[in-house]
Amino acid sequence: MKTIKSLLIIFGLIFASCESLVEGINDNPNKITPQDVEAELFLTGAMLANSVAQGGHLNRIAGMWSGHLTGFTSLYSNIYGYDISTAESVGTWSRYYVGVIPNVRHIREIVPQDMLLTGICKVLEAHAIGTAASLFGDVPYSEIDNPEIADPKFDRQSEVFTAAIALLDQAITDLNSATSRSLPADIYYEGDAGKWAEAAATLQARYYLQMKMYPQALSAAANGISSNDNNMKFIPRGDPEIASGDKNLFWQILAGSRQGDIGTGNSYLMQLLDPSNTTVDRNNAKTDETARFMYYTIDETSASANQGIIEQFEPQNLVSYAENLLIMAECEARANGVSAAALGYLNEWRQFMNTGGHVNANFQGESYLYADYDAADFAAGGIENPDNIAADRAFLREVIEERYVSGMQMYMAFNDVRRLAKDDPDLIVPFPLNTGTAPGQPQRLPYSDDELNTNNNAPEEPGIFSTTEVNQ
Amino acid sequence: MKYNLLYLTVLLLLGIVDVFAQGQTITGKVTDTSNQPLPGVNVVVQGTTTGTTTDFDGKYSLLVNPGDVLVFSFIGYQNQTITVGSQTTINVQLAEDVSQLEEIVISALGFEQKRDELGSTASVVPPEDMVRSGEAMLINSIGARASNVQVQRSNGDPGAGTTIRIRGANTISGSSNPLIIVDGVPISNTTYYGLGNGGRSGGTSQQSRLNDLNPNDIESMQILKGASAAALWGSRAANGVIVITTKNGSANKLNISYKGTYSLDQINTRIPMQTTFGQGRNGVYSPTRAESWGDYIPDRAGGNDVFDESGRYFEATNGTRYYPIVTKNSRETYVDSNWDGAFQDGQFFQHDLTASGGSKDANFFFSLARLDQEGIIIGSNYDRTNVRLNNNFHINNWLSFSNKASYINSYSNRIQQSSNTAGLLLGLLRTPPDFDNTDYIGTYYDNSGQAFTKRQRSYRRYMADSYNPTYNNPMWTTREQESSTRVNRFMVTPQFTVTPIDWLQIILRGGVDYYTDARVYFFPIGSASNISGSFAEEGISETQINFDGIAKGNFNITSNISLQATIGWNINDRKTRSNYALIEGFQVNTKKQTTDLNTSRDASEVANNKIFRRSNRGYAIFGFDMFDQLNVNFSGAIEAASSVKGSYFYPAVDLAWRLTDAFDIGGSVLSFAKLRATWGKVGVQPGAHRFETLAEGGFSYSTYSDPLSISQFGGGFRLDNNLGNPDLEPEIKTEWELGADVRLFEEKLAIGATYYQNRITGILINLDLTPSSGYSTQYANAATMENKGFEMDFDYTIINKGDWGLGIFGNYGDNNNLVTDLQGTETIDLTPGASVSSRAIVGHPLGVLYGTGSKTNPDGSFDLDANGFPQLTDRPVVLGDPNPDWRSGIGLRARWKSLALNVLFEHSQGGEFSPRTLWVLRRFGTTQETANYFTTTEDLVNFDGDLIPAGTTVRGNVENFGGGNVLLDETWYRHGIGGGFGDNQAYNFSIKDATFTRLRELSLSYTLNFPRFQEATKLSSIVFTATGRNLFLWSKIEGIDPEINQYGVSSGFGLDYFTNPSTRSLLFSVAINF
Repeated sequence: MKTIKSLLIIFGLIFASCESLVEGINDNPNKITPQDVEAELFLTGAMLANSVAQGGHLNRIAGMWSGHLTGFTSLYSNIYGYDISTAESVGTWSRYYVGVIPNVRHIREIVPQDMLLTGICKVLEAHAIGTAASLFGDVPYSEIDNPEIADPKFDRQSEVFTAAIALLDQAITDLNSATSRSLPADIYYEGDAGKWAEAAATLQARYYLQMKMYPQALSAAANGISSNDNNMKFIPRGDPEIASGDKNLFWQILAGSRQGDIGTGNSYLMQLLDPSNTTVDRNNAKTDETARFMYYTIDETSASANQGIIEQFEPQNLVSYAENLLIMAECEARANGVSAAALGYLNEWRQFMNTGGHVNANFQGESYLYADYDAADFAAGGIENPDNIAADRAFLREVIEERYVSGMQMYMAFNDVRRLAKDDPDLIVPFPLNTGTAPGQPQRLPYSDDELNTNNNAPEEPGIFSTTEVNQ
Repeated sequence: MKYNLLYLTVLLLLGIVDVFAQGQTITGKVTDTSNQPLPGVNVVVQGTTTGTTTDFDGKYSLLVNPGDVLVFSFIGYQNQTITVGSQTTINVQLAEDVSQLEEIVISALGFEQKRDELGSTASVVPPEDMVRSGEAMLINSIGARASNVQVQRSNGDPGAGTTIRIRGANTISGSSNPLIIVDGVPISNTTYYGLGNGGRSGGTSQQSRLNDLNPNDIESMQILKGASAAALWGSRAANGVIVITTKNGSANKLNISYKGTYSLDQINTRIPMQTTFGQGRNGVYSPTRAESWGDYIPDRAGGNDVFDESGRYFEATNGTRYYPIVTKNSRETYVDSNWDGAFQDGQFFQHDLTASGGSKDANFFFSLARLDQEGIIIGSNYDRTNVRLNNNFHINNWLSFSNKASYINSYSNRIQQSSNTAGLLLGLLRTPPDFDNTDYIGTYYDNSGQAFTKRQRSYRRYMADSYNPTYNNPMWTTREQESSTRVNRFMVTPQFTVTPIDWLQIILRGGVDYYTDARVYFFPIGSASNISGSFAEEGISETQINFDGIAKGNFNITSNISLQATIGWNINDRKTRSNYALIEGFQVNTKKQTTDLNTSRDASEVANNKIFRRSNRGYAIFGFDMFDQLNVNFSGAIEAASSVKGSYFYPAVDLAWRLTDAFDIGGSVLSFAKLRATWGKVGVQPGAHRFETLAEGGFSYSTYSDPLSISQFGGGFRLDNNLGNPDLEPEIKTEWELGADVRLFEEKLAIGATYYQNRITGILINLDLTPSSGYSTQYANAATMENKGFEMDFDYTIINKGDWGLGIFGNYGDNNNLVTDLQGTETIDLTPGASVSSRAIVGHPLGVLYGTGSKTNPDGSFDLDANGFPQLTDRPVVLGDPNPDWRSGIGLRARWKSLALNVLFEHSQGGEFSPRTLWVLRRFGTTQETANYFTTTEDLVNFDGDLIPAGTTVRGNVENFGGGNVLLDETWYRHGIGGGFGDNQAYNFSIKDATFTRLRELSLSYTLNFPRFQEATKLSSIVFTATGRNLFLWSKIEGIDPEINQYGVSSGFGLDYFTNPSTRSLLFSVAINF
């Protein structure tokens, strides 16, 4: 028995097998760890995710549901008729929550002292989460991107907007104290702190507007985007021979296998702009939309037929000068009627368009005219008030219509039709339903199938005709 | 053993004493049934202690009295008794005792164990059976020889890898291969696909590293199926362990033998192709269409085609010119000649030279083997050279040393296959019957006379007027492309054995296994998929270093209970490295393999990959032998592995109770009976390097066909959307089994049966995470799976006496697998890229076939459309299960004098297979199935709803899906849902019954060893053997062997897609023993 005992002791010693002998070997020898990567190198990826999420699939769907675009065949024709599944949001949802937010937060974590980068990152996060709240309603935010929380709860839409606005306040503070520098990784503004701060203010105004907090929207927009050059936009680049990876997103889908699926067709927007259309026509003695009509036309039959808004190198606006001015015009008019200030904001935009800056070089030779409006134009019987409604409403109606048109390829029109439905139905651009059987205009986009399947805190998908909190 | 020596010494002494006694001297020679001398045979006078042993030449002499009965006995052979009469010479031939031969098995640590005392199951495959099977690849030779050991070669390519599945599937994303232990040390059996192969759905077949071993070097091979026997190897043993020992020399005279083998190989089954319809569509000939739904060839005018000879033309290398076809008149077809342009009779020569011998204190075994194989596909080959030198030295009575060393060199060229437009069968089987592939390369002259040299001519580009052939001409695939691999491998296993005191042994065992694999992938300009040319080199190396320190002691606890205790410590380190470099877009149209093919550096791609793993384990076995009837083994290993957080303990217990000893019931009917029971845990290691969340480059973002690629925006990184997992654990398989071993009729019939159940928890999968958590997936211990099954092996020696021997043997195994949990993940695709895929789905066995099918009604009938045709399901559904219901092998061995016959059948019952080759060829209209030409006798509707009135002559088949007869014609096969690509197909009709029976082996051998021959030639024997390998296959699938696997060595199976075919062979060998 003694030998057995001593054997057991040896055995015990050997069994204390060494974890230290295998430590560190599992560190990945093939890939770089985030700690090794400079903060700036994470920025472009986050901005690409943001660009595609803001200007991609859901944007095109919103365009079809705003009378801008027409789905002709395949998937887009189904969605045009409001037949949509939760699978359609999977990509966009993941771009916000996986592509943008964890990466910008990582940058903030590793360079908290770099006010330019932290400011930019806060704007990108607020842009992403704000758009998500705007499109889907209640979305996860306060508990996201936390390894401890597998199932983040869904926050109320208004809370998310409020949080985004607060984050933008921080961003503006950071950017105001930052020094601009050459930052090639910043594919929107190349490191210009001032332009970022303007975009942050316009985003604040956008979210206040969606919450119908018009005075706050007006004061935020006062610091917003101050020129068309300062627009936040996705700028395509690269070799014209290479059809995908860096081109205008709409152009890419027509250049690829989706040719023929989606274009403007005879959409309400096209009818509105078309000088030859007399039933719905926004051309008048002071306005000639011929150039914009041609610039906006999207020919679905081939990518190369398009030289306008989806030409392969044509930038896509994400936050714009027009948006900022028109927010101010609307909010000013809501406070003070057809005031000189309100007219001024609208005319400032019209004056810019009258330089031809609203279309690209291919269409600047076409005719356009945007003469200043004056108060008389909105008075009963004026050229913008043939139906003799109150002048204030006529003015607001024109501002909303201008937002509807200028917001092509942005979510502005989709946001407005939902925002105005309850209190200001008279201001809505009266584009028709795509199918007569629909219960009304869609009120939101469906949640991501992936999120619904994996998050135990996800609600039942409410459907696209269910009104979100801020529009109730 | 010690007892035997003592006994022998006494006998010898007595023998010397006996010299002085009265009597006669008998001399003689003891040989085995092949007339090989048997040294060391005990020759004893029955009932006395008088006796002797035979010398190195098997000779003995003994002083006896007439009437004495001599007993000749030797371990592993049946005793023989001979009564002494008046003779002075008694020569004896001893027959092998099969049941006794199996008595010793080798444990997972490389130690000998008595089988009758084992509680766990071990299948023993006799090495001579493996050698005789005619398989050039070691793993394939195990096929059908052990229950529940499924051996599935990827295809018939020379050197192609093989999947081994023991008791079904034990992991989802990990390796399904068992651990291979050679001479006590683990060796690599990796099948490395690498970057150059272009995924598993296409590319070439890759090798299994176990096949580097020379079957002729193997002394014994055992398959440890259960968890308990393998638990000592902890996290690498869940798929079972194959234990191999290589040969040693013996204290004997020098034995030299040479064996030469020639094999003739052919395709074992071929898809029936049609010869009556030409290239084209809708019954109209077109020389550029992909399909053969063209004109009825017998209706053609005959004679030569009419050409437009005014302008462009293609000139083949032999000067033949091809002009644009104006009118197709020729009725010639080329199905067989096109076939012969790609296939040939394969063959191999194998030479084996062995020498062994030694003295009491030192021995050696040396072998040299050379295999030269040409595959059945022109251009495919496999050459291998093996050298082995095993040495043993007894330095003194407490120290011995052994070293086993081998070197392997192999070279192989493989032909591109499967889902791959540069692959062989894809181009060949889609070729229309009226297109001749022969002139596949030449110069194209356009209308202006400009020449384009080295153009590939293929059936869709018969003028070679484009660089892009769309699919390769099979002549080009076999002759112009290269996919070669060159392997150099060393394996060395040194071992010291120290015996400080008589009850204790200390073993220090090292092992190094190192190989390099240098691969070349070369596609000249104009190859399909690589039209601008592609040249890649990939260098792979793997090193496995292993060390064990083991102490073994024997103790008698009481007079009835003894303990054998083994404790040990192991460290194992594995490193794999690969470097890959690719040049595309050749500037020069040549076949010379140099990076100068493209002088612009930005066209090349460079990548490398490293995998490092290390584990160390302490382990112990306590084996109790109680009351000469009961054996209980407790074993355990505690292991720390680099890819696992913390340490894991793998316990096991097994119990064997010999009923015949317990109740003393042995008799002439029941010779032996044992009950056994085991329980144990084993694991599967997580993939390496998955602890951390990484930074990732090279990504792109898309929402719907609108990707933005980071590399086109100056590069950059993102946090990998796969969240690192620092808490990875091994997958744990817990298994119990119950079994019995019985031998009946004086050990003539041996039966072993086992029932087992296991449950595998913590199976590693890429789990979908909530996107709002910031990550998409995480590699996590999330799935569970179960297996249960029954297996049985038997061996019945009907006769084994004198000139005659006859025996039958066989095995049966079934395994039921069930995936029980995937933590919400709906399906896991084991075969990415296939339209019918093999998947893991909860509630189904692993590997189920999945794809779009036909809508059904609640009663199971088809939900038909208005025309009486099935309608597609909205989403993919489970279509079938590729796991067989059961598998069995049954064999016969017979000998008469010097002739020996061996037969082995294999049967696999049930299971399903999707030969998608046949499905897609319906669309192409090249198979006989699509070429039925008949006159309708009733009005029929086709898939498009067109009415075909009675009396119309049509190409197609009549079918009834449940709504009355309908016509399956081009509308169904070519552009409907009854043949074609992608998800929009009624793939339920592609699923076939995978049941097969094959004659794995039929061999006849003759041994020339009669004494006069031996004296005349000074040879001890010559053995002639003829073997038929895989000669017959009975299967319900015409033209495709259901055993092949598009995805090669993989956990997904049951799929074929233009995968290279399997083979059958006729082998002849001559073995000369000096």
